[in-house]
Formats: sequence, structure tokens, C-alpha cells
Amino acid sequence: MQLLDVRNLTIELRTSETVIRAVDRVSFSLKEGEVHALVGESGSGKSLIAKAIVGVLNERWDITADRIHWRGVDLMRLTPEQRRKTVSQDIAMIYQDPSRCLDPTAKIFDQIAETLPEIASKGFFLKRNRERKDRVKALIHKVGIKNHEAVLSSYPHELSEGVCQKVMIAMAIARTPKLLIADEPTTALESTTKAQVFRLLKSLNQLKNMSILMISHELEEIAHWSHGIHVLYCGQMVEAGPTHKIFSQPRHPYTQALLKSLPDYEQGLAHKEPFYALKGTIPTLQHLPIGCRLGPRCPQAQKACVVTPKFTKHNGHSYACHFPLIKDMR
Amino acid sequence: MQPLLKVQALSKTFNVRAGLFSRKKFEVLKNISFSVGKGESIAVIGETGSGKSTLAKLLSGADSADSGQILLENNIIENNGVRDNQCRHIRMIFQDSGASLNPGLTIGDMLDDCLLYNTDFEKLERIEKINTTLSKVGLLIDHQHYYPHMFSVGQLQRVALARALILDPKVVVLDEAVSSLDPSIRAQIVNLLLKLQRDTGLTYVMITHHLSLVRHISDQVIVLDKGEVVEYGPTESVFQNPQSKVTQRLLSC
Repeated sequence: MQLLDVRNLTIELRTSETVIRAVDRVSFSLKEGEVHALVGESGSGKSLIAKAIVGVLNERWDITADRIHWRGVDLMRLTPEQRRKTVSQDIAMIYQDPSRCLDPTAKIFDQIAETLPEIASKGFFLKRNRERKDRVKALIHKVGIKNHEAVLSSYPHELSEGVCQKVMIAMAIARTPKLLIADEPTTALESTTKAQVFRLLKSLNQLKNMSILMISHELEEIAHWSHGIHVLYCGQMVEAGPTHKIFSQPRHPYTQALLKSLPDYEQGLAHKEPFYALKGTIPTLQHLPIGCRLGPRCPQAQKACVVTPKFTKHNGHSYACHFPLIKDMR
Repeated sequence: MQPLLKVQALSKTFNVRAGLFSRKKFEVLKNISFSVGKGESIAVIGETGSGKSTLAKLLSGADSADSGQILLENNIIENNGVRDNQCRHIRMIFQDSGASLNPGLTIGDMLDDCLLYNTDFEKLERIEKINTTLSKVGLLIDHQHYYPHMFSVGQLQRVALARALILDPKVVVLDEAVSSLDPSIRAQIVNLLLKLQRDTGLTYVMITHHLSLVRHISDQVIVLDKGEVVEYGPTESVFQNPQSKVTQRLLSC
């Protein structure tokens, strides 16, 4: 069953002079129990998409979409109260930069206890209190924090980034959501903690059948365990499809460049040999090129590229390019 | 071959507060020794809190060690915490170049300051030097009139590299300077670093947690754990056959 189905999501920012289109007609869908990844460089609108789904963007941003269906219900047509209720019940989000997203003035215990769903417990308030404590403790053990007493009674600034990240995950899974949106959950962490977080997310996906929408700028991190990858460039979806197809047969020049910049993947590369790199830099949002936004940097660009390419779909693998790479990479 | 940079038994302790009045000694680095040849790269890997960044600060002269020597081309430049004032031979590039450049100075002024305080060049020589350095890192000469906020992230990293290279250093210390960049820009900067190393024989000390990049770029690897060297050797042999538990854990994920 289709869990999340987004069609032609456009996010625009109104400024005094012009309207900046930060995300341009992005469509994707997610089935139950699947792990999908949104990959793109900074400024490509990954976080905006996640925030638009959850509905936490402020009113300066214009969000238009043909549909954002959540289990058959269009989130765009709900009243704000209904929407908040649906989203808070089923969707959870791990935000970027955990130590800044936690409340600096409250202890970790209070912050986690706040996210617990209400239970119809009959006992006295003392009993309810004890129950709540037990549930917080169970949650924090689940994300792999052993010394719960020290962590629960401290403020966010006293904890390391890795522990803060785990606390964020504990808060996100407190309501056992159907969909977890993880916005760059591992950028601040070193490799051993990173592996721990990934193991945790993976086990949640397999045991609880929780869908995950991972947002990352590193292709290699999510390559081994995601079902599908969506590659974004400057707010345009350039390629989408099952992970193995993207890796074995990238159609879009940008995806190819991303893959070739991974030393692990490009096996023919000798020690200290230069990587394949696209020329130029990512355009700023104020100076976006017309048509295909990769145009000025693309090695294959031709005259037709000033028109925005249509999405071509072929065996579940879709790409937006006028001149897709047909032959195999190797 | 004679090593260019040699570090012998470098140690550093910090005084941390233990109670209301008492203070506790905390050893960040214990007896670190290694050597790098000209035109080679050495990578320092390890978990957070293992003393990687402290090592970078000690090498670049931003902090002084308690004991141990740093030798550059067989000249002692730091002996038991006393630094020879030759900061120009070892330069450092920081993680966030956007935050480490002065927003109130143009790129030209900033580079000029480096030369003014460290060399006795005349005005014309300095202008000439700035121009050649900017073109060396792939920027235009006109960029010296720009302020840091006018650059993109990739260009800022090039500016930071220009600031490091303008004094013709022999060693450049990169503290997480490449791993925090976006993939396509990272590839460009890595290519630039490799090209500079090939052309001018620079030596890099890289501090990073991006393991596949370490494997590609560096010749030697040091694995730090709680201030101690747990493994030190050529990159391929460390990656193929890690000896210590710490290294195995780092590499397995």
C-alpha cells in the first residue's frame, strides 16, 4: 500500500523582487516498510521537502502540490488541526543538528516524557508517574544509551553530539510512527557512532516495519540498505529508482558524477589519481539557470537543455535528462 | 630518504576542573612519534576525543606541547613547548572555512596581512605573490577584491588553501577540511590538493574521519585512541590487515 505519495511538490520563496523556486515539481512515493533516500548537495532542497511534508515551514514559503497523500488522505486539504493530528500520530522527524534542536532549558527526561503518547492508565498519579519513568527508561535503552540515570538528568549542552542524536531518535520513535523522516542524522557523528545509528534505524525498519525517508548528501552511506534513491540537484529531481539500478546504470550525468566521486565505487582508480569532477559550483538560489539546472556544469549539455527536461520512466527507473547516458559505465 | 617532518614523543596534558578547588591532569596526547617524507601525506584517524585536533593545533603552532620535539628538515622547531617562530613552514586549514575567514577583510587584504607579518617583501613583491598564489589555487586575480561572503563554499575552501600556501609552507595540516564538503566540490578540492602535491612536493597531514578518502589520498595512517598511537603504518597494510581492536572497529563500519 502506498504510504506517502507526493506529486509535483513545488516550494517557492517570495522575496521583494522575485519568486525563487527552491523546489521544482518533485514527485515521489513510498510504500510501507521501505527505506528511501533523498540525496543531493547542500541547497538542493532536501530539508525543505521533508519540512513541507511534516508541515513545519513558516508562511513565507509557498507550498503547492497536486497532492501529498498520506495513506490515501490528502494532507493539503485537511484543516491545520486535522493535519497536525494525523502527522503527529504517524510521522516523526529527526532534525539536523540535534544539540540545537533539543530544548536547552529542560532536562532530557522531561523532553522525552513530553513526547510519550497519552495512555489511559487508571492508577493514582504516583503509579502513573512511575509508569512514565519506566517507559522513558525503556525508550532510552532501546536507542543504545546504557547509563540512563546520568543522561536523563542532564541538559542537552552537557551531552555529546552522538548522545543528543540518540535522544532525538528516542523522541522520534516514542509514538512508534509509520514513517520516520531522518534529516542528515549522521553528519555530526564519527564513524563508530554513525554505524550504531544506522544499525538502530535498520533494526527499527525490519522489526517494526517502519518506513524511513533518509536525507543525506553522501550516496555511499545509504547505498547498502535503502530500497530506492531519489537524486536531487538544485531543487529538481534528476533521477529516481531502485538503489541497485541507480548504482549499476546511472542515466543522469549528475548521478554519474556523484558515483564517480566515491573512491570506493570507482575501482579502476589508482592511488592518488584525480577523481572525475564536474566543473563549476552549485548555483545559488538567486541565480538559478533556466531549463535543466545542471546545464552550465553538464559535460553533455546541448541547445535543447534550456528547456526543462521531462521525467522519463523506464522499468521503475526514471530520469530527467534530454541526453541520458545509455551505455553502461564500464 | 630523509623525513621532512619528524615528531618525537610529543605529549600534552590539560588541567581540568575536578572539584571546587582541586584540578585534575588530563593527558590528551601521550608520546606521539611519527615521520613524513617530502611529497607524502599522512592521515590521522580516530574517534572524537582521541586528540586528533589537539595534534593538529600542536603541529601548526596554535598551542604548545608539554614535552617532545617537532623537527622540520632536521631543524628543531619546537622543543619541550618552546616554539621557534617559524609558523610559516607548517600551515593549517580549518574545517569551516566560512567561519575561519575574517568577514571584514577582502581576500587580497587578508593574504597581504599574512605576507606583511611573516616576510620582508616590498609592496610590489607582495602584490605579485598574491596574484600567483590565487591563480595557483584556481581563483582569478580579480577575486582579491572580494569579501568572503561573496564566495561559494568550494571557492572559500580554495581561499583558505591560498592563505595556507602564500607563505610557501612545506607542510599543510588539514583539519577535517575536505570531508565536510559536498561530494562534487570535494572531488574538485581533492584533485587540486593532489595536483599541488604532485607539482610542488607539499606534505599533508590530514585529520579526517572519511575513511575511503584516507585510503585514496594518504601514504601513511596513524590511528589514535585516547591520546595514544595504537597503529601506525602504510595505508594499504593498515587497511588490509588492521592489528589493534580500535582500528578493526573503526574500519569495520
